[in-house]
Parts: sequence; structure tokens; C-alpha cells
Amino acid sequence: MSGRKLLMSFPVTPTSHLLAEVRARGGYQTLQRVLTSMTPEQVTKEVTAAGILGHGGAAFPVGRKWSVIHLNDSQPHYLCANADEGEPGTFKDRWILENSPHQLVESMLIAAYALQVRNAFVYIRGEFDLPYRRLQGAVDEAYEAGLLGEKILGTDFSCDLVVYRGAGSYVCGEASALITSIEGKKGYPRNRPPRLTVRGLYQRPTVINNVETLSNIEIIVRMGAEEFRKVGVAKSPGTQLVSISGHVAKPGVYELEYGTPLAKFIYEDCGGVLGGKKLKCIIPGGISTKVLTDADIATVTYDHKAMEAVGSQVGSGGMVVIAEGTCMVRLLQVMLRFYHHESCGQCTPCREGMGWLHRIIDGIVAGRGRPEDIDAMVRISEANDGTTICGMGDAAGFATVGIIAKYRDEFEYYIANGRSKCGGRLEVDVAEQEAAHA
Amino acid sequence: MPDFFINGQPVTAAKGQTVMQAAKAAGFFIPTFCWHPSLSVSGNCRICVVEVEGEGGGGSWMEIACNMPVTEGMRVLTDSEAVRARRRETLQFILLNHPVDCGICDKAGECTLQDYHYEMNGLPSVSTVPKVHATKYFELSSRIVLDNERCIVCSRCVRFTREISKSHALGIQNRGDASLVRPVESRDFESDPYSDNVIDICPVGALLSKQFLHKARVWYLKATQSVCPGCSRGCTVDLWHRKAEWKLNALDPRENTAIARVTPRENPDVNGPWICNKGRDLAKIFERPRAEQAMQKGKPVQLGDAIADARRLIRDAKRPAALVSSWGSNEELAAFKAALGDRVECIVKSDWQPQPGERLEDDLLIRADKNPNTRTAQDLFGGEARLVPADSDLVLVWGEGTSFVDLPRGAKVILLGSYLAPENGHAEVFIPVSIQTERAGHYTNFAGVVSRFEPIVRKKDGVAHAEQLFAQLAALTEALA
Repeated sequence: MSGRKLLMSFPVTPTSHLLAEVRARGGYQTLQRVLTSMTPEQVTKEVTAAGILGHGGAAFPVGRKWSVIHLNDSQPHYLCANADEGEPGTFKDRWILENSPHQLVESMLIAAYALQVRNAFVYIRGEFDLPYRRLQGAVDEAYEAGLLGEKILGTDFSCDLVVYRGAGSYVCGEASALITSIEGKKGYPRNRPPRLTVRGLYQRPTVINNVETLSNIEIIVRMGAEEFRKVGVAKSPGTQLVSISGHVAKPGVYELEYGTPLAKFIYEDCGGVLGGKKLKCIIPGGISTKVLTDADIATVTYDHKAMEAVGSQVGSGGMVVIAEGTCMVRLLQVMLRFYHHESCGQCTPCREGMGWLHRIIDGIVAGRGRPEDIDAMVRISEANDGTTICGMGDAAGFATVGIIAKYRDEFEYYIANGRSKCGGRLEVDVAEQEAAHA
Repeated sequence: MPDFFINGQPVTAAKGQTVMQAAKAAGFFIPTFCWHPSLSVSGNCRICVVEVEGEGGGGSWMEIACNMPVTEGMRVLTDSEAVRARRRETLQFILLNHPVDCGICDKAGECTLQDYHYEMNGLPSVSTVPKVHATKYFELSSRIVLDNERCIVCSRCVRFTREISKSHALGIQNRGDASLVRPVESRDFESDPYSDNVIDICPVGALLSKQFLHKARVWYLKATQSVCPGCSRGCTVDLWHRKAEWKLNALDPRENTAIARVTPRENPDVNGPWICNKGRDLAKIFERPRAEQAMQKGKPVQLGDAIADARRLIRDAKRPAALVSSWGSNEELAAFKAALGDRVECIVKSDWQPQPGERLEDDLLIRADKNPNTRTAQDLFGGEARLVPADSDLVLVWGEGTSFVDLPRGAKVILLGSYLAPENGHAEVFIPVSIQTERAGHYTNFAGVVSRFEPIVRKKDGVAHAEQLFAQLAALTEALA
């Protein structure tokens, strides 16, 4: 396995998520220490010094987000964990929610203490069933043990945690749509300014962090910023939970220290491509990030700077491996169908553009494509770049432009011949591969 | 000290203003679909993009003007090549699923989308995919139909019901390009007395008035300023009627003079940009069957004879009284005061009482007093509610709403009326007088704001203008005295 483990540091058993075992592993000791011997400012300072970046996809420095909150502005602040893990191919937060929910609860309490939050929320995606039951179970256990609610652990600090279930919208994973949804309204993203750290949930300063980001807070405070920075690389300290799926031999959730060579991870840890096929490309961090080809992967290390150098992102850690022989036109069709279905319909470019892209690629796949369709798709993607209220328009545009730029020949072939250059398949026929090897 | 720059020109902005507000105030044009000065910022149409130039020669970026607060020294371009290109792209998106059925759309001619398309885009659609189809005729209420294909989901109507009329009766269903404006199930759009305003604020032809549906092309119509007489708010309105050059002999003559529709004329002192549904239905008040024949005890006579008779009755009366109309204009009331104020005892009456089912009063516009000019009438003739003195032998009744049973027994009645009514024939003398749409004048609303109304049609020959009528009566009474 690649590098040190911070979150996946214990053996998972059917009972390892319960409070008794968590406490036996040393759980909630950091909270005790924070509440009795640290000031909120010291916690924020530690988190800022650790240099941790957001793990939800945008990689925004957590310390910078937290420092916007003024502790003595005599108004309530809110903290919200974003557990609306909807990015296709991403299922890493699910691992935390299922196997280590107390890690999130404890970390949120430390964060709530640092930000002087009385009411914290977890917005969990509605489709999550076991993760919801595990998390709600952990919250109930914590209330019962006096770790949540009034006067936590006998100190003056009080905090309530509410688990709020979403109703199944991708856009509600966007921070401002998420709080709009918690407020009970339709999950439309909000225009910035004002930033959510200035006016967020119920018009109050609100910090929203990804589940994995928040879960790291306890680790940072426990280890100390200096020790934490020794994990990973200078610009990307710590680890990333990577959920890998697609045409890969051993799919699942892996904890990956930043700076690990990507090829080593894919070929050694995950057993390479399914059925021993050649790798065509990977989607590195959720389908909104640009694809990386085999050549890109050969040299790149898994951290923010290196990934940006090859034109992509770490993103949400939702990695999809695509084997040789997969039709990229069909792949893009699947992705655009998703974006079309999930566009909230609030602002014009995305509402109309997603459907437009989807219908164009449907036409291409059905054999009705025209040569100018490729440029039309690029044009629509570019018209969505930076013009929408939230990042979804850009994301769909990135994905489209990313695939077309690298596999334009497949699109041209499909349009010219009315059929796929690579058999039009998305799945790998393992049986056929195994027969060939035998 | 200039606060910031638009297209290189210094512009001063108030604290907290957005680029849109400051630019509009300074006279710069920025296109808008979803932004409305009286509603909250939604920022969803993206047509109002402007270019913000980075400081010190840094790169520039696009921002929507409606949500961008002005910052000191900011440099904004509203009409750069990049902005124009972005707007063209946005219009391509907006028109993608719009049916462009302007030929049969009531909004054509006053449609924001149509105007902007000609002004900023002008290109045929680059799309080759089929359009999304949606409900063409959805009845939002008995007054309003919705065409979802034309709708550009700007949410102005939704925000109007949430922020202005407070009925919360509209919402947006579904998502993406399947988004549909729909009534909220638990709310009642039908009984929202301001519902028709959503027709005016709709930037396209999605929300249409059923009264006006396919009645006229707007370029055949002319708007004349008027004042709604429906209550003492006195909202400034536009009465739309056929232009003289577009009158058609082939049409029923009434069609040529009818009020085609009523819309609010923005007046920040009185009604802002809104009016209530009662104001939209002014035709129901003004186009009732008219009384155009002077009468003596129910027998038709010449107008001159009726006036002479009335004048004799006033001269001979021992104790004449008058019920003064609260629908009279300031000019008419002043003329009445000057002519007859000393001769007769004047009592102000309410011509109209609230109708069953009508909203009595609210915080937005509607007032409990359903007469337009009670304020001036009471200023001139006293505000206290009085009965006609029991010993009056003559009562001059001006306007509607008086039952003869309430008048002193044996008193003779001179009635000045405009509409057909049973009482007309019971009066000693009946003189038909002109209505608001046949004359110019002013009303003073409850708060003392004076508003002017203009005529849209000429009065008939057999009908008198009340203002002149009082002078005639006065001249004669004095001459005989």
C-alpha cells in the first residue's frame, strides 16, 4: 500500500464504528484536550498551519475559509459537513460515514469549537442508507455519552448536530445550494457575492467543508500541524481517500498519501486494468475533471500541483479507470446525460446548454451526427465557462472539452461512419480476455 | 470624487449599490431579463454581464451587473466586444427552446426578448437539435394563461408573488430544461388581487391576460395616461385603446373606442410599477350601458330643456341640498363649489361601496374607500358624514350610489348620472354627464398626491360635461336672483 494512513488507521470490523471501540482506540481524547486546554484561535491557527486543502473537489485552503469568520461578531455561526457525495465515481466519504462516523463527529465538534458554532449540520445525500444509519447512530451515541448537546464533557462548550437528508440532487452538493436545501427551499445555488462565510445558512456566516476535510481536523490537532505536514508533499499535506472504479482489477476506497506516483497506485495497489487490458485513460477526480491519458499517468505524482501541471485536478478523489477499446463518444454521452438530468435549471447557460449538449451527442450516437457538431459542443462548453451561478456549467464544459481535445478522432470517425471507432462499448468483456489468456 | 468608472466615464454610486443600479441611475444601458428594480436579485438570466477590468493592467473578467456591488475605483465595460459576444451566446441559449412564435404572440412589439434579439444578436439559431416542448396553454387562474414554451424561467413572477403580493402562489417545478412555472398547490393564485402584474413583468410572452388574449396587436394601440378610480389610492394607469389611424370601419364601432387593456404606469409617488386586478377591469366600470338622453320625469327631452328646468328648480327651491360626487375631478368639484356652494347645502357622498368578495384594504395598494377623490370633496365640502336635512325640498344628486328612499320625502330630485339606472326615470330632472374617459382632469388621492387623467374618446352631443354644467346653472341662478 502507498504511504502512511491517517483515516484508515484501524482494522474495519462489524463493530469498529461503535463508540465503545472508537473510545478504546483513543477516540474523543483530542476533543477533551481541545476543550480543556486550547482556545478557539489556537485550533484555527493549527489548522491553518497544517495547510490542508479542501477534499471536496475545489481544493480551497481550509484555514483561509475559516479565518473569514469573526469569532466576536455577536451573531450565530453555522458549520455544515457536506456529505452530499454525488460526483459520479466518487464514494470516498461513504467509507468515512460507514466505518468511521465518530471521526467526523469528533472533528466537527473541534471545528465547531474553533468557529464558535452552536448548531452544526451534516447534509447527507438521500440515497445513502447505511451511511445515514451509521452516522445517525454515532450522533445518537454521542448525545447519550454527553459528547453532543449541552455542556460537552463538563465544559462550557455546547453544540448540537443535526443530520439532514437530501432528496437526491447533484447540485445540492454545491455549498450554497446545500444550505438553501437545509433552509427548506428548492436546492438552487446562490450568487456570490456575498460569500457563504459572510452570509450563508439563515443569512449567517457559515463554514461548509467536505466530510473528509472535516474528518482530518481531529488528526491535525492530534498530530500537530508540524507532524501533519510531514505527511504528503509541501503544497498538498496529508492524504486523500481515493475511490477507484471502472475498468480496474481491484476497485474500492484507498487512502493515498499525496505525492505517491499515480502509475504505482493504479498498477500495483489496484492491480492494474481489468482483464489485463491496456489503459486508455483515467478520469482522476470526479467526471468534471479532465481525463489523463496513459502517457500523462506514467510520470505524474498524485498531488494538486503535479496534477495541475498535466492539465487536470485531484478533484473529489473519484477516479475512473478506462480501458483500451472503450468508446469515448459513448462515455461522453453518459456523462452529458447525467449533467442534463442534474442541471437545476436556474441559470440560462446551464439550463439550456446541458440539454443542448446531450441532444447533440445523442444525435451523433444515433448516427445523425454532422461534422460541425464537434465545434458546436466546444462552443456550448465554452459559453458555459464561468458564466453560471455555480460551478456545474464549467464542470460539464471541462469534461466535454477535455474528452474532445484528446479523442477528437473518435468523434470524427463516429460522425463520418455512423458507428464507433472502438466497437461502441463501455464495458470490458472479461470472459473474452480470460479466454484469450488461457 | 468618482466612485468607479463605466466605459471610462466616472460614475458616482451610493453605498451598497450594485453596478446595475448605479449604471441605470447614470443612464447607461444594461440589458435585463430577470432583474427588476422592485424585486430581489436572482441573477439567473446572465444577460446583464459586464466586463470588469483588473487593476494595473491585469486580465478582465465577466460579472453579472445585477449582483455585483460597486467597489471604489472599479472599471466596468458595458459594451465591449467581449460583452457583446457573451450576450450573443446567452441569447442563443435563451432562444434555444423558445418557440419564436412572435407572429401569434400578444407580447410581440413590447417583448424584451424580441427587442434584445434584434438589437444584440440578430443571427438565426445555430442549433440543429429539436426544441423542448412544454405546455402551450396552462391556466394559472381564471385571468392568466401560461405558455411554458415561451417561458425563459427568469422567476420574476415567482418572486413577485413571494415579495410583493405575498400570496406565495407560484413556484418552479422540475429542474433543468424541464423547469416549469406552476401554481403552488397549497396556495391560491386565483384570489391574489395583484396577480395580473406578473403579465406586465414577464419579459416574454409566457404570461398572458385572458381578457386581452388575441384581442389586438400592441402596435395598433395607444396608451393614454389615466387614474384608476377604483379606490382612494388613485393608481396611475395607462388605458390602451386603438390608435386613430388604425380605426377600422369594418369593426363594430365600439371596438374602435373600447379600452383594450389597462396597465400600470410607473409612478413612485403612488403605486410604483403595480396595480391591482380591479384596476385591470376598469372597462367593466366605464363600459357599462351609458345614459345619453336627458329626461324630465322619465320623458326624453332636449339637454338644453333639462338644464333650464333644473336651473328653475334650484332658483325656486326654499332649502336646496346637494349630494356631491366623490368621483368628481378636482376641477369639477371646484366648479361646483364656485357655482353652487353658497346656494345649496353640500354633502359629500360615497358613490361606490366595497363589493362582496372584494379585498377591503391591504398594505400594498388597496384602500377601503372605493372612490377616487373623496379627499378633495371633503376638503371643499367638509368631511363629516351627514344626512340630507329632512326639510330639504330639492336635492341635487351628482353621481351614482344614492337610493331615493334615503332622501327626504317629498323632495324633488335633480339627478346627474352617466349610466343607465332605474332611478334615472324617477328623478324630476335627469341630466347625463360625461365619464372619466371622456374628459381630462385631476384626482387627489388619500395621501394628497394629485394625478392627471386624459380623455380617450369624445363625449356624445347629448351629454354634458359636469364642469361646464355647474357654471351654466350658476350663471343663471345669479342672473335670475
